[in-house]
Amino acid sequence: MISWVAFRRLGLVLFAVLLLARLGPNTAAWAADALPSVQLNADSISPRPIEELTGKNIARDYAYAWQTLAQALDQDRSELLDGYFTGFAKETLSRAVADQKKSGIRVHYIDHGHKVSALFYSPSGDAMQLRDTAQLEVQVLDGDKMVHQEQVALNYLVLMTPAADRWVVRLLETVPGF
Amino acid sequence: MRHTFVFFILLLLSELSLTGARAADLHPPKQVTAGNGFSIATTGNGDATFYLVGPSDRAKQTVRLGNAIEVAADDVRTAGRYIATVCGSDGCASSAFYVVAAAPAQLSFLVHPSRVPVSAKDAISAVAFVFDKFHNLVLQPVKVDFNVAVKDAPAISRSLPTNNGVAWIRLNATRKGGPAQVVASIGSISEHRVVQQVASDACNLRIKATRKGNSVAVETETVRDCSGNPVPDGTVVTFTATDAKGKTTVDAPIKRGTARVQMRLTGGATISVASGVAMGNEVRIGGTP
Repeated sequence: MISWVAFRRLGLVLFAVLLLARLGPNTAAWAADALPSVQLNADSISPRPIEELTGKNIARDYAYAWQTLAQALDQDRSELLDGYFTGFAKETLSRAVADQKKSGIRVHYIDHGHKVSALFYSPSGDAMQLRDTAQLEVQVLDGDKMVHQEQVALNYLVLMTPAADRWVVRLLETVPGF
Repeated sequence: MRHTFVFFILLLLSELSLTGARAADLHPPKQVTAGNGFSIATTGNGDATFYLVGPSDRAKQTVRLGNAIEVAADDVRTAGRYIATVCGSDGCASSAFYVVAAAPAQLSFLVHPSRVPVSAKDAISAVAFVFDKFHNLVLQPVKVDFNVAVKDAPAISRSLPTNNGVAWIRLNATRKGGPAQVVASIGSISEHRVVQQVASDACNLRIKATRKGNSVAVETETVRDCSGNPVPDGTVVTFTATDAKGKTTVDAPIKRGTARVQMRLTGGATISVASGVAMGNEVRIGGTP
């Protein structure tokens, strides 16, 4: 005779299993919806010090930029880049989305967080350069077939500029090291 | 003996067959310059699918393992990390490499502010970002020459190397008013911006006063800053008259280089002038005859 508590536990386990099974193939899409963690360190920034609020905004907007980048690549929608990317970064990433639409080769990022150091803040406050060590799981898929998967720490050199109500990424370049 | 010989032959054939079916692998160079085609050596045999995934590119082609894979210059124009993958019958193998920026070809130049008082120290901020012809940030240090020049005045120049693709400088404004050309250059590549250098605060204010009946007309000489540049029209000049009834103050903007007011004064008075923090001369004027 199964008690009511045991029956309820069994039901919860069954629900969890079903949920995981449902999420399984879409783990990357689910991960793309989460806001990645961004830790900003501005101790060595120059020539202008960073205001506390600006630091918070930079970290927040950089996290949103990575979230929208992952979503744009997942959904093949370059318009998602409009919110947090501009200039060369937007051009490059839009080309990537267009190319993966055309070729069927897609890249999924599962984002495990960013450690960001602010390097340069222009005297007039119109540009900030950052370096980011991003912990990522990168998956390359040809249609539904995964041809490459890796857990990797990548170094990014980033240039952000202020827009009307947020900071946007103007340049996002992977570099071999800092 | 015969059995031993057959065994070794079979062992050799098996080894050869294993060698023939060895896993596909590829060996790209560690680093490539943007816009330069190159080859990737492969091992293994048979047909395979080659994938190249970069910051802006996704490419796929069928290749023959054991032969070098030619990567076109157009496929590696964007700097960053690329993943090369080859998938044969026995699975996939990947290797990453970096594409770095080509030679400097363009400058992105930010200059602030757009108007600055003459002779102001460290008043102009100039930031230059160095890019190659594919819009990749050039991370190798490059010397950038900064220059501020006004017509008929000595130019101010300084050179600085880039750090992570950026060079920045604070420049003094020159002593002469007018449009200043602020230039950043690397060899033959240059970017120009214009900063309007305006006169600084008024200096050596001089007034003259003329009585006309019950009123006194007070007028400045041409108002100039300490470098001799005419102070812009619209700058407010304050005239103060002190007579037996007390103090009267009148503000007037500079028009065509001078400021003038009409003050109603019957008795004798002392009239002074000021603009901003600069004081001018005082004039004494007698009472109505």
